[in-house]
Amino acid sequence: MAKKLLLKLLVVVATLTLVAVGCGNDDDDDGPVSPSDEGFAAAFVFVGPVGDAGWTWAHNEGRRYAEAQTGAATLFVESVPEVAEDFRAVVVDFIENEGANVIFATSFGYMDPMEELAGEYPDVVFEHASGYKMNDTNFGNYFGRMYQPRYLSGMAAGAITEANQIGYVAAFPIPEVLRGINAFTLGAQRVNPDVEVHVTWTFTWFDPAVEGDSAAALLEAGADVIAMHQDSTAPGLAAQEAGARWVSYNSDMSAFAPDAFITAPVWNWGPYYARIIEAVAAGTYTPGSYWGGMDDEIVALAPLADDVPADVAAEIDAVAASMVDGSWDVFTGEIRDQDGNVVVAAGETLDDGPMLGMDYFVEGVVGNASP
Amino acid sequence: MMRPVLVRRDRVVPATQAVAFVVGIAAALVLGLILLWTSGHDPAEVYERMFDAAFVGTDSLARTLERATPLALTGLAVAVAGSMGLWNIGAEGQMMAGATIAAGVAMGADGLPGPLLIAVMVVCGVAGGMVLMLGPALARSHLGVSEIITTLMLVYVAIRVVEWLETGPWKDPESFGFAVIEPVPEQASLPGLFGRANIGTLIALGLLVVFWLAVSRTAWGYELRLAGSSPNTARYAGISLRRKVLTALLLSGGIAGLAGAVQLTGSATRLESGLSNGYGFAGIIVAALALMRPSGVAAAAFVFGAVQVGGQSIQTLGVSSAISDILQAMILFGALMAAVFFNYRIRWTGPKGQASSDDDQDEAGDDTLAMEGA
Repeated sequence: MAKKLLLKLLVVVATLTLVAVGCGNDDDDDGPVSPSDEGFAAAFVFVGPVGDAGWTWAHNEGRRYAEAQTGAATLFVESVPEVAEDFRAVVVDFIENEGANVIFATSFGYMDPMEELAGEYPDVVFEHASGYKMNDTNFGNYFGRMYQPRYLSGMAAGAITEANQIGYVAAFPIPEVLRGINAFTLGAQRVNPDVEVHVTWTFTWFDPAVEGDSAAALLEAGADVIAMHQDSTAPGLAAQEAGARWVSYNSDMSAFAPDAFITAPVWNWGPYYARIIEAVAAGTYTPGSYWGGMDDEIVALAPLADDVPADVAAEIDAVAASMVDGSWDVFTGEIRDQDGNVVVAAGETLDDGPMLGMDYFVEGVVGNASP
Repeated sequence: MMRPVLVRRDRVVPATQAVAFVVGIAAALVLGLILLWTSGHDPAEVYERMFDAAFVGTDSLARTLERATPLALTGLAVAVAGSMGLWNIGAEGQMMAGATIAAGVAMGADGLPGPLLIAVMVVCGVAGGMVLMLGPALARSHLGVSEIITTLMLVYVAIRVVEWLETGPWKDPESFGFAVIEPVPEQASLPGLFGRANIGTLIALGLLVVFWLAVSRTAWGYELRLAGSSPNTARYAGISLRRKVLTALLLSGGIAGLAGAVQLTGSATRLESGLSNGYGFAGIIVAALALMRPSGVAAAAFVFGAVQVGGQSIQTLGVSSAISDILQAMILFGALMAAVFFNYRIRWTGPKGQASSDDDQDEAGDDTLAMEGA
């Protein structure tokens, strides 16, 4: 039985190898194609499970949107560890076996092997979310100004808290997360100057048990609203259980803890994915370092809970409008850090550089920015 | 009440080991048919891709070897301790400790020529693994503290240290604030063999041969095994159990540390908190597949590596990572069960652990599968 199966396998393998070799000569023409053409494929490498309801779920929604918009065939692999051998294996399979034309990699840890692969496969486009490396021909990176909707979500949370103490469950002390905490705090202070944001570090992006425990500890210490930079829904469940409130992240997670949910800063990757896929198919792709904001709709704010006061809701709309038209941005002075030093002078707005390298907490955050 | 005990078979033909693997894996693949059918996949296509990705062509073989290399080293680390009935559950942490010391030295000595730098890093890797093992080894040999707990706990310590280095003292100033450690120097990358395979594979193979000979063919190895299976006999024969426990555990930690240095100079570009990638924990399964004998580690690591490569590859066909994980686990479980039952038989014992038949009595001490510490 086993022998027969093995023999059959060998025959199939041998046949397919021949077929694959035979077909190899077909795709020589480099002219523009339509994404919906037979043979065109966009492939996604995800760091978590698509069912996480968070980071990977949002990227997968983006993939589905892009597939529907462009008609391109899309592929994905989930839960790929951030090490070279795993990432390379997946990408090489996508290219060699599935004929992928563009690879989207959605976690920071894929950066080094992706840079190598971009060199090895010059005819394939590589797009990396949240990294900083790129080249001139086929390797770009993309991210969103999540700090903008985080500021708006902070306004809503600041209006809801009665204890004036918000707990923030945070993954890693890196600029992206610090920026989000600071933006959230500034937003909360805008509507509630007395508010404090207490931060705990989990050192994990996705670990429901750890995230839930951290939220519970913050609630026990007196917080009545939980915000998070995590990919699971566990902090929300902890908040709901304690009768507290919750600002989720990544996606509208209201279904998971409907009584606790206030709002959420959310990702909307779809339009960007569709644009890149169209450009790759048309042969007009050029790599860039994309960092879009509210104006580009790659980031947004989920609907507000009913009990957010109407005047605050109106103010949130107005601030959002000023972000969209570019007349105002979050890190506009005067802003002080935890020690009271002025980090952004009155009337000035931070450039992208200092925002990307942010390594401090603003006044009003309780916690250690470099634990 | 009768109670089942596994007893080693009197005669084990070496070829049966290989047959056991094949039978076990085939049985798992047959069961896997149900899993794949019910989840809406074409089993023929999936199995073909698994086989293809792991074995067909030099790139595929290289990919399997790339994975089998750290698995062979961590598997050997666990098996060396296992030879005397000790459980090193923390190879994952020792791997990180080895990689950390090696990376630290590489930062300070990046002016050295490649081969010398690699040699220094490898030695430091071994030292790093031993340092992390020192506490558990001393606690086990002198205080009788279970090495299972201590080695496991230190895994998280080692990973946290790397996270701290990443976000703090070793953060790469050229990374735009991102929490990454600077890449290891260009010249400190192990020469390639073919495809993605590098000479780390040869290092692992060499070490496997050395330890196979040392454990099964030398007086030292005999004493080690004796100390594990019959501590009283060993003590009577004048063997220092403390020293044996220390040596076995430190060697085990050192080999796992070496795995870290080999990963750092091989597949990885820099030290990062995900570098060990579960290889240390997987080493426990590899060692179990090899029935705790260094001689079986190479084959077990190769099979495990192939299963991982195949399991990864079928996901590009649309098989979810959960289904792929279940399939991989089934295959390894099949291989493990077959390996155990081809080498051991079940014997029913009477109350108080007394053997049901007298002629089995003398085997019991020496050859029962040592699943508990000495």
